[in-house]
Amino acid sequence: AMACRKVCQMVQRRLASSAAAERLSAAELRSWRSALFSKEQNRQRSLYPRIEKIEVAMQGPGLQGTRLVMNKGVSTPHSCAKHLTEWHVSSAALALVDGELWHLHRPLTRSCILRLLTFKDVDPQLVNQAFWRSCASLLGQVLDDAFKEEYSVELLNVLEVPVSAGAFCCDLVLDPRLDSWSPSEENLRSLTRDAQQLIHKDLPWEPLEVAPPVALEIFSHSRCKQEEVEEIAAHSPNGVVSLYRCGQHVMLSGGPLVARTGLCCQYEVTALHAVGEGQWGLQRRAQGLSLPVNLTVMRNSVLSNSRCHNLCFVLFSLKEFCFMQYVDQDCLLDQNCVSVSMC
Amino acid sequence: MRLTVRALISHGRVARKIGLGPESRINVLRNILTGLVRHERIETTRARADEVRFYAEKLIDYAKKGVTDEKARKMVDFWLTEKDLIPKLFEVLAPRFENQSSGYTHMARIPNRENLDRAAMAVLEYKGNPFPPPFPVRHKNELNLINQLLKGYQEEKAQLATKIRDS
Repeated sequence: AMACRKVCQMVQRRLASSAAAERLSAAELRSWRSALFSKEQNRQRSLYPRIEKIEVAMQGPGLQGTRLVMNKGVSTPHSCAKHLTEWHVSSAALALVDGELWHLHRPLTRSCILRLLTFKDVDPQLVNQAFWRSCASLLGQVLDDAFKEEYSVELLNVLEVPVSAGAFCCDLVLDPRLDSWSPSEENLRSLTRDAQQLIHKDLPWEPLEVAPPVALEIFSHSRCKQEEVEEIAAHSPNGVVSLYRCGQHVMLSGGPLVARTGLCCQYEVTALHAVGEGQWGLQRRAQGLSLPVNLTVMRNSVLSNSRCHNLCFVLFSLKEFCFMQYVDQDCLLDQNCVSVSMC
Repeated sequence: MRLTVRALISHGRVARKIGLGPESRINVLRNILTGLVRHERIETTRARADEVRFYAEKLIDYAKKGVTDEKARKMVDFWLTEKDLIPKLFEVLAPRFENQSSGYTHMARIPNRENLDRAAMAVLEYKGNPFPPPFPVRHKNELNLINQLLKGYQEEKAQLATKIRDS
């Protein structure tokens, strides 16, 4: 808290004139947003000065009748999982509180029925969608960090892509000086490496629900983010905006994310296309592919036939895999057969 | 008789010895096989289960030839020591495996015997028996992330194929 106050003071001094705000470098901007986020988080925590107890009834295989006595406004589903087993802590990706999707690090505010969701559930569609969303925001974070200080990067809203589309997307607008730049194989590989470093750090995504003015203040340097905040606030039923923080990076999200970056595995940035001129400049779309940890390919019986093996080969050996431009192994094989028979 | 590399090297002189001699071996196997046909799932030592497996498969092959077959009747009569099982073999087990040409049995390893000898144990069963499976079955989940990805890929591929066919 001490450091955060110091950063706040420093940044506020710099923000004394609004012209100075324009000159904030990307790293300073990031720490400023993070400091504001911490401030709001502390404010929300201080709303529960007295420790009150709530009763959490657990649901799930092997947990029938388990009731945990937790602290109101302090305990999260993650702390409930810590009272169970290590398996629950490491494999839970999302929680369901009274039938409502709940981030694993969001404090519980009432006595409730809690179910921990994993990637191996019978119906993991909600978790898959959250995973896809998280991977997309991780991609945004990587892209935000990847360029030199002098180039501005503007992340647009994260598209909701269904899992079966085969890739998660993240739209962004780069500095006008970079309009002619097209990413090489090497660039994509370095983006992948950055993402894998974040995954290796196993950072949590910290959730925070804030009122629109706070969100507007956090994103006061970005016109397009502010518009997005207004749009989200208009559409949400109780008028709040959900923010997430991963490391120093504060982001908006249309839905809950998974618990931590360590849940991603085999992360790959596959493409960065130029989509066309948008409202904010040349719009680009980054694509990636990732699989959750513990859901490895060899364990799936559906993958046993040869075509799927080819797909897996494409998935993990070739970088170009995404459904817009996949390498079709079967076609290659067919062509080979034709040439053999002609010989 | 299970053929092993060891047996091959020693010119067939090393085989699993069961019982007190060749005749005793056959009697032991007969008794186990009769138990298997009666109960459809039995628990025995791993070596015996492994040996009896060949005979259990062969017995079904004979049973599938039908009651009218002279050789089949002779073999079944020899291998089943309890004669009330002969109709069961011809009328229940043979029709069950009509569509299969091999692999009528299933063997699973189980923990060593708690006895003093700590013998390695196994469960031998005829497939299609009414008991619950002896080990947890791994179920396919169509909805998990990888399968969803593959489904998307296959749909895409099918669309591409129809497009190529149309053009």
